[in-house]
Amino acid sequence: MYYLPCLWAFFACAAFCLVYNIRGKILPLSSFGGALGWFVYLSLNFLNNDIFQFFFATIATAVYSEVMARIYKKPAMEFQIVALLPMVPGGGIFYTMEYCVIGNNEMFLKTGLHTLGIAGALALGILLVSSLFRIRSAVPGTKK
Amino acid sequence: MDYDKLVSMAADAGYLLIANGAEISRAEESVRRIFYAYGAENGEVFAIPTFINVSVSTPEGRPVTAIRRIPSRRVDMGKVDRANDLCRRVCRTKPKFESVEREIRRISAQPVFPFPLQVAAYALVAAAFTLFYGGNCSDALVSFLCGAAIRPICSLLERLHVNLFFINVAASFAAAAIALCFANFNASLNYDKIIIGALMNLVPGIAITDFMRDIIAGDLIAGILRFTESLLVAAAIAIGAGIALTAMRMLWGV
Repeated sequence: MYYLPCLWAFFACAAFCLVYNIRGKILPLSSFGGALGWFVYLSLNFLNNDIFQFFFATIATAVYSEVMARIYKKPAMEFQIVALLPMVPGGGIFYTMEYCVIGNNEMFLKTGLHTLGIAGALALGILLVSSLFRIRSAVPGTKK
Repeated sequence: MDYDKLVSMAADAGYLLIANGAEISRAEESVRRIFYAYGAENGEVFAIPTFINVSVSTPEGRPVTAIRRIPSRRVDMGKVDRANDLCRRVCRTKPKFESVEREIRRISAQPVFPFPLQVAAYALVAAAFTLFYGGNCSDALVSFLCGAAIRPICSLLERLHVNLFFINVAASFAAAAIALCFANFNASLNYDKIIIGALMNLVPGIAITDFMRDIIAGDLIAGILRFTESLLVAAAIAIGAGIALTAMRMLWGV
């Protein structure tokens, strides 16, 4: 049952491309990045630790975006901005808020910290990949 | 060379990039490359998401400076792309300042998608994310309506110059209220999936992914600004949906 969520991730990213005014061949390419990230997330299910899953999925998406950016000579951000959206913990924010409204403090703190953990995993993944690719483009002769 | 025009043109190019959601490092580098191309090697630029400042010293030692406030930023990758291409072309061919200014004005006036299509895009985002988070088809249909409601509310409040925080509170409240109304009449709907899907339109995905890139590039202030912005927006979304949830609970005991 991997393909269906990945397909929805693809369509969600494609719709977001319209919101962000991304047109042409970048639209399917960056949407594929979103589907790829979610595929990595799902196939690492055996880890039983979704923060690690999100971390590796972010790395996969970010590497994909950086590579595509170099192939098509476009800013890496154009691919990344959409492709990382399925990993953004929108659900976590909502459930945290819902527990807060209900008054279930224990679950509120637990979900809130977990959401922060996911956001941290995302940020760390981007940090790692972005730094690595910066090293490469700083080496003389490899640029352009 | 007319340094006044060079500085003004470089500031406009940087403004165009940042106002449409480019990274700070990209905007600063573009401006610096323009200065190099026109032989003003001592040109300096400083930008944060709300402000850009460029300065050049003329050969006589007179400093020429331009600053631009950036009151609102949107994400429009099409414009960033074209502005980026323009900067590269300027550095290669060094055209006249007037023609570059004309080009910059043309890019910034370039139409985005027409309004009905924007509404449709928001609605599709909502529906697709509801399915993605495990909702079924009827959830996606309701979510489609919630998403379609978000865009008109945002643009109406933007026209009234309401601040970003309140816009997000209002839009998130409206989306959650619509979802909960439907859920009240049809208990089989997963209202949580609907609301999460619809609110993905407002979640500051760009800020979350961008602030790390800014910080890594050494633009610490820009990164912190974006981080603060994303926290504010996330709080606004939670407050808006929270008000709707609480109100519904009181009214109907959903």
